[in-house]
Amino acid sequence: MRILVCIKQLADAESKPVINRNGTWAEYGEHTAFRINRFDEHAIEEALRIKESYPGTEVDILSVGPGRVEHAVRRGIEMGADSGIHIYLDENAYISPSLKAHLITAFCSSMRYDLIITGVMSEDMMSGQTGPMVAALLGYPSAAGVIKLEIDPVNMMIHVVRELDGSSECSMDLRLPALVTLQSGINRPRYPSLSNVMRAKTAVITEIRSHDKIRPGHYESVIKVLDARPQRAGTVLQGTIKEKAESLWQILHKKSLI
Amino acid sequence: MSYIIMIMCEPRDPASSLDAEMINCALKIADGAHCRITAVMPCNKINPGPIHGADLLAVDGSAFMHYSAEAWTKAALAASQKLSPDLVIIPHTSAGYDYAPRVAAILGASCITSVTGVETSEGKPRFRRAGFHGKIEMAYETGEVPLVITVMPGAFSSGETAADYGSVGFMEHDISLESTSHITVTDTSENNPELENAEVIISAGRGTGKQENLELIRSMAALFPKSSIAGSRVLCDNGWIEYRYQVGLTGKKVSPLLYVACGISGSPQHIAGMKDSGTVVSINRDPGAAIFSHSDICIIEELEKFIPVFIETAAIHNQKK
Repeated sequence: MRILVCIKQLADAESKPVINRNGTWAEYGEHTAFRINRFDEHAIEEALRIKESYPGTEVDILSVGPGRVEHAVRRGIEMGADSGIHIYLDENAYISPSLKAHLITAFCSSMRYDLIITGVMSEDMMSGQTGPMVAALLGYPSAAGVIKLEIDPVNMMIHVVRELDGSSECSMDLRLPALVTLQSGINRPRYPSLSNVMRAKTAVITEIRSHDKIRPGHYESVIKVLDARPQRAGTVLQGTIKEKAESLWQILHKKSLI
Repeated sequence: MSYIIMIMCEPRDPASSLDAEMINCALKIADGAHCRITAVMPCNKINPGPIHGADLLAVDGSAFMHYSAEAWTKAALAASQKLSPDLVIIPHTSAGYDYAPRVAAILGASCITSVTGVETSEGKPRFRRAGFHGKIEMAYETGEVPLVITVMPGAFSSGETAADYGSVGFMEHDISLESTSHITVTDTSENNPELENAEVIISAGRGTGKQENLELIRSMAALFPKSSIAGSRVLCDNGWIEYRYQVGLTGKKVSPLLYVACGISGSPQHIAGMKDSGTVVSINRDPGAAIFSHSDICIIEELEKFIPVFIETAAIHNQKK
């Protein structure tokens, strides 16, 4: 079986994005730390579990982005994947998920992945589109927000459980090849083992540079970004911890809440 | 500007106020300009009645007895072929985020998910949503191609529009499912009356740090009558707290008199679960945390340091009584 895991590299949650002069995009400073999107870590882990259950399975890690994403791809290999693909794309402005989906699909069309796994969304943009779009473009069935999955390679099926709103779950069988996007909580991503870290140093990461030119303005674009507008009063308490605690108590007492 | 707007109805369930929200969203986008709004309802042998503010198109077939991405995508594409919409609006629910991007990709359309607001600028619609971990608000414009959007539940009013009833149309679409089978829905209802009826909720997020710190959360809750603890999804995934205490888009929606968010960053998914709370107090050491935009009172401190002091302060006041 061949599995592809699509991952996104993003800046740490506590980094502060700075809005550029035109107010058209936000950038992170030089010293920002980057890491793999948490949901995609679950995707890597799930692929590795399948690999362990079905020896002979190959797991590739793919990421789209500037030079630094190669580190994220290599990290996936350190966790236990076999090889990596880096689709090079500069990212100093908004990139439509539609564009990323086309780039990923173009690569996948020449491969024959039985299963593509990705996280349900990225923690920073939270679009949740790229996965289902790639599936649709490849003609694969897909399920988003999966909390449990089981492969049946003999019958070329995958049994998935999706989380629904409120408190319900939906289970179904999808024909392979298929694409699933994973919710968190499905597994516990492993730490790289020393042997895999050594292997990753010389593992192959194929770099792809696309020559397709998608016209700017073809897909949706972000024309303005602002600091999130306060939806509520947002009064920041001042002083020492003790003073803040006292202020809070007074406020709540006045509202008869305490 | 004249628009053809197609709305996909939420797969039949009692929350059909979502359809009214989508219609109100469509009306806002059209902003008084001429538009044709059609609500598309994939269904199986149902005779839906007319709705205010939009025409209704029932797409009938046995494949629509249970929701699946395959069936709903096919229904949306069939309706699109008939209506040629400029814009497709889908509620951002577990169904919406499952099939909407598929529809967009096949139509060659753009897609914007989790829309929380719309406005018009120079006759063109703009769509707002949160980005960068919820810290930044982004305004999008559509490109050359049609657009599919998913809209956050609660972003628009579900109040009935003054508009007239529209027409009701039917389209037979008896497709068979080719790649999906054995669809079963299980109610995992984990009722939690303690949380659902609480007047005060002390909620813990990733910033709680370690499981032992939940004791602080519990102790703080104990200061208030009719209270409950709650947790963000991350804590439930870690197994620190049961899923029936999860507040958020895929957890419970709560609206207590007081909601105290401790170490919660404030992702849109979490905000969706508590934004109707009376008073919101947030404690977080990150001054840029998105939660502070949704709080009445902001305390920029580590909860490990702040909560014990607050508990002590409350105890002192209690003694004075």
